Amino acid sequence: MKNLYLIAILIAQITFAQDFKFGKVSKEELQEEKYLQDPSANAVVLYKKQSTYFSFNTVESTLITEIHERIKIYNKDGFDYATHFIDLYQSGNSEEDVSGLKAVTYNLVDGQIEKTSLDKKQIFETEVNYNYNEIKFSMPDVKEGCVIEFKYKITSPFIWNIDEFVLQYDIPIKKVEASISTPDGLNFKETIKGFIPFYGKPGQSYNETRVKEYNLVHVPALKEERFVDNIDNYRAGVVFELKSIIIPGVVHKTYSSSWADVAKTIGNTNDYETQLDKSRSFNDELDPILANVALPTDKMKAVFNYVKNHIKWNNMDGKYFYQGIKKALQEGKGNAADVNLTLVAMLRYAGINANPVVLSTKDNIIPIFPTIDRLNYVIAYAEINGKAYFLDATSEFSDINILPIKDYNWKGIYIDNNNMVWKSIDISKPPIAEELNMLSGTLTEDGAFEGKIRSRYTNHNALLFRKRFKNEDIDAFVAKKEEKLDNIEISNYEAKNTETTEGFVMETFDFKHESIASSVGDKLYVNPILFLKQKENPFKLEKREFPIDFGFPFQDKYNITVKLPEGYVAESVPAPLYLKIPDNLGYFKFKVVVNGSMMQLAASLEINRAMIGPDKYLFLKEFFNQIVIKEEEQVVLTKV
Amino acid sequence: MIKLKKVCYLLFLVITFSFSQENLFTSLTLPDHLTKNANAVLRYENLDVTVNAVDDVVITEKRIITVLNESGDYLVQASAGYSKHFKIKKIEAVVYNAQGSEIKKFKKKDFIDHSAVDSFSIYTDSRVLFMGYTPTTYPYTVAFDLEVETSNSAGLPSWRPITSYYIAIEKSSYTLTDNANLGLRFKEKNVDGFKIEKNTTTNTLNYSLSDMKALKPEDLSPSFENFTPHVLVAVDNFQYYGVLGKAKNWLEYGDWVNNALLKGRDEVTDETKQKILELTANISDPIEKAKKIFQFVQNNTRYISVQIGIGGMQPISALEVDQVKYGDCKGLTNYTKALLNIAGVESYYSIVQAGRDIVDFETDFASLAQGNHIILAIPKVDNDLIWVDCTSQVHPFNFIGSFTDNRNVLMVKPNASEVVKTTIYPDSLNAQITKAEIKILNDGSMSSVLKRTTYGTQYDNRFPLERESDKDIKEYYKEHWDYVNSLDVDQYKFNNDKNKVAFEEALNVSARNYAKITGDRLFMPINAFNKNTYVPKRYVSRKLPLEIQRGYLDEDSFVYQIPEGYKIEALPKNVTIKNKYGVYNVAIKFENSKIYYHRKLQINSGKYPKTEYDEYRDFRKQVAKSDNSKIVLKKSS
Repeated sequence: MKNLYLIAILIAQITFAQDFKFGKVSKEELQEEKYLQDPSANAVVLYKKQSTYFSFNTVESTLITEIHERIKIYNKDGFDYATHFIDLYQSGNSEEDVSGLKAVTYNLVDGQIEKTSLDKKQIFETEVNYNYNEIKFSMPDVKEGCVIEFKYKITSPFIWNIDEFVLQYDIPIKKVEASISTPDGLNFKETIKGFIPFYGKPGQSYNETRVKEYNLVHVPALKEERFVDNIDNYRAGVVFELKSIIIPGVVHKTYSSSWADVAKTIGNTNDYETQLDKSRSFNDELDPILANVALPTDKMKAVFNYVKNHIKWNNMDGKYFYQGIKKALQEGKGNAADVNLTLVAMLRYAGINANPVVLSTKDNIIPIFPTIDRLNYVIAYAEINGKAYFLDATSEFSDINILPIKDYNWKGIYIDNNNMVWKSIDISKPPIAEELNMLSGTLTEDGAFEGKIRSRYTNHNALLFRKRFKNEDIDAFVAKKEEKLDNIEISNYEAKNTETTEGFVMETFDFKHESIASSVGDKLYVNPILFLKQKENPFKLEKREFPIDFGFPFQDKYNITVKLPEGYVAESVPAPLYLKIPDNLGYFKFKVVVNGSMMQLAASLEINRAMIGPDKYLFLKEFFNQIVIKEEEQVVLTKV
Repeated sequence: MIKLKKVCYLLFLVITFSFSQENLFTSLTLPDHLTKNANAVLRYENLDVTVNAVDDVVITEKRIITVLNESGDYLVQASAGYSKHFKIKKIEAVVYNAQGSEIKKFKKKDFIDHSAVDSFSIYTDSRVLFMGYTPTTYPYTVAFDLEVETSNSAGLPSWRPITSYYIAIEKSSYTLTDNANLGLRFKEKNVDGFKIEKNTTTNTLNYSLSDMKALKPEDLSPSFENFTPHVLVAVDNFQYYGVLGKAKNWLEYGDWVNNALLKGRDEVTDETKQKILELTANISDPIEKAKKIFQFVQNNTRYISVQIGIGGMQPISALEVDQVKYGDCKGLTNYTKALLNIAGVESYYSIVQAGRDIVDFETDFASLAQGNHIILAIPKVDNDLIWVDCTSQVHPFNFIGSFTDNRNVLMVKPNASEVVKTTIYPDSLNAQITKAEIKILNDGSMSSVLKRTTYGTQYDNRFPLERESDKDIKEYYKEHWDYVNSLDVDQYKFNNDKNKVAFEEALNVSARNYAKITGDRLFMPINAFNKNTYVPKRYVSRKLPLEIQRGYLDEDSFVYQIPEGYKIEALPKNVTIKNKYGVYNVAIKFENSKIYYHRKLQINSGKYPKTEYDEYRDFRKQVAKSDNSKIVLKKSS
């Protein structure tokens, strides 16, 4: 028995004993028809090897990355993977360079392996812009079932920037071996990211180097899901960052190893220590607007609005200046640091205790471990009477403590050089955003309906409303609304308080609906939530891998009053419902009452967490399912 | 003599220009009727094309544009493409604030240099210079100056003053001067009804448009190109990327394509030649041979876009495709044509303007500026043509779908090139036939066995489904039938009949909460699997005509078995509508505790005046209402 088992293992090992040397593609690989672990894969990476190491000589120091990939293409939809891109950075006179590019396509023709090499003529190099070049090639002779293989070497003069090791694609990877070799004295910190567990182990090292290896097998394809903050947060990979340079007797320099270190390191840069912290006068700009303002919170508001109106964000992130305070004010534009560090400096001038908070935005992945490089953005923090205020002046409709949604990502790094406080802090959570709908109308015997709606939007709902409202002409905005609300006809449309950022947005309009209720015989059937119902469940998939990101917590409320046609009474009314998601994540309430000739509905839906873990997915899915069902229920009216 | 004329002309231009220019840098003087609905106002534009010789064309452009808001930023268009045959001599821009004071100046070196590579091409040798300017306040005005020298006298810039919606025009003018007597031709389109002034001679064209209000987009309107002014231009004797040509009509133009671009590019390896001969050895019917070869191409090549060779117009040779096994539309069409030739089957390289919007070649005006894609025509005995798109590895033989259907294209045929129409798919043949047996249980749940077949353009939309993953297929149905709450796909099976061009889906689906229970009633949607609640947007005053480019026909037969212990309280009404926009019939009957629902919806393609928009909208409202109706069942006591 034991022996049998051993043989089984041996056989298994023999079948899987593949040769990963370049060119040693086997018939078995070419005959393979699908990937057992994921039969839906159109292509799979059979093998990827990446070695990154340093090369020092008297002329220059370079960072070298060797790549070797072998990809199996099962069908036509996998053909896209036969085209490969290499991005090469350049800056000034330094540029990355590719050498030793070799690529071969293998096909099985009448039982024989046929090799077709990539011709030099089929390699295209394009200078995309001043910052990078791109090398592209598409493999020759690609057919269903073929295997392609390529290898090359990138030589980079930017030795402090080790690119992320990407260990997961949108197709599965059967086997990946990645290694990094760093010389003694040059210490990099590795951060492992993604949703599949793995770790690096020391490899064989020589010549005063240290080697770390990351070997993974059967890495599943990474697929997009709805309501995901940033899919790259969940992609398997390793991120490197310089930690210290220690050469005994020569140099001893350490970089970030805790968030406090990170804060201090950023705080000690010229931009923060010299540019931001030097005392400045903004008397020309601010004195006129501060003259008649007494309260510190009002001063903060005035300064915030001043920066918003005078420095336009150029859509570039950044924790360091692009222009600097002076130039940003002069030109009226700048990157995130130009805008928000000017804001900090101006708040200080106005006598407010203000400091920068550096962070990583949602589109930039979550920094789980202390890092400088992965932080891409900075906002302002103010403290007045012990109360904390977060401000981001890059977005037209953001407000104090109502930040653009991308800012709510993990934590922030607080930098207060003057008081020598450097630490990581929590950014205030987005407050609950309300949408309150008050509807009153009159239903006629033939099912037609008309009335008025008054809706109120607060916080992020107001922000989103203002943005949409501004970007669209009013006719198109109303036409879209009509379409969304079951083709009602809207008149006297008005939206108030849309130009500012403070307070709520109020929207009012009159409407007509030709046939909200269906009339059969002496009966009238009507849906009490009318055209405001939740049309479908946003969650349809059976399971979910990644957290659900709503952006911000919200509460939708409906107060509906309908005057019924003369002579009708309610024969049947939907039962009230009160639903809760476990752990107090949210609730749904629904209640219809018919009182004489008045039908009234009070409904509310609340989700009170911006981000909900995948373990709660099934609850959430069922929660919305029940809402959809409830909102489909009808009131039956009978003529007496 | 000619020289003198030119100088005078230029002088005249400079004078008029400086006369009005000051006023144009400030946006304070803009009249209200031009700012209404506008994101930008083109204050002044002059596009001047001067042909000095067959290989010497100078293009100068001067434009002053005021941008009113963020959405207007992209209308500035302060950029220019360039390549070996297209040299930028001068490019400059000055930005002014609302008061008309200069705030920033861009010299040539300040423009950003970028590859013109698009998202789908692996290579193109064109590049682009563009102004990288972040506006800080609105409105602002940009004065842009460009001078380009090119050796291409084909593909001359034509006049299309209105480039987009939401832009108003104070004045836009165009001049073309053919100093080399190359045989200037032009064709006007949609110029009536616009404030256009013109003056044309044998060798010159002058056009201008003034005081044009901004247009707003409307749903179901004709494509923008089909109602805005356009003057097409071409010269008979031309040079293009170093290649000389002469063409005054499609016949001659086709010959040029054939001789200059295609000739001598049809060689393949002996091995492939042998393979093709073997493959077709036992077939006598040329169409059957073509089918076999088309399959061979589909199985052995793939689409990769590479834009090199005579301005991206020349295909890579058949031999090269044979080696790398890929090509773009030109390369793959030329390759297929070469293979067909080996088997003795005639076929014609054809140039088409591809896309969902139907755009025709101008029958009476030949120019190189028309077309963006290549397909292949194979003649049948009865003079009819079979069309194939060689860039697709999955489409059936003789099926081009909505990408290139129903439009005039140039068929390149040695000494007999002509403009012909591609396959038309009639409305009633773009069909979807659905049959379903649906069982409702007394807890409101439903289970169903469904069979659905699509044809024509509806086939084109549906058949890609068979190549999706299990997860994506299930997700597709959940989204497709999003009005069926908690739908589950328990089983699916596809049959793609490429000969008949019919795609069949056989499904078992269920839904936990199909009918909604309230008290002792069940509310059950009458149309489970083809609810069409689309109602076109309402316009208070419709400005553009109504156009429905493609029609279709849907027929549904659903049989519902209702749960025991329930009786019908209310059934939706039967509906019969027939008008010029289409047909809608619904028949419902109840028999032996089963509800029989039969529905037919046909939407006709057609063009109608704007006054009929509301009528069509009413028709769709009636359809939506009926499709949305419910059956009410009540517990029998």
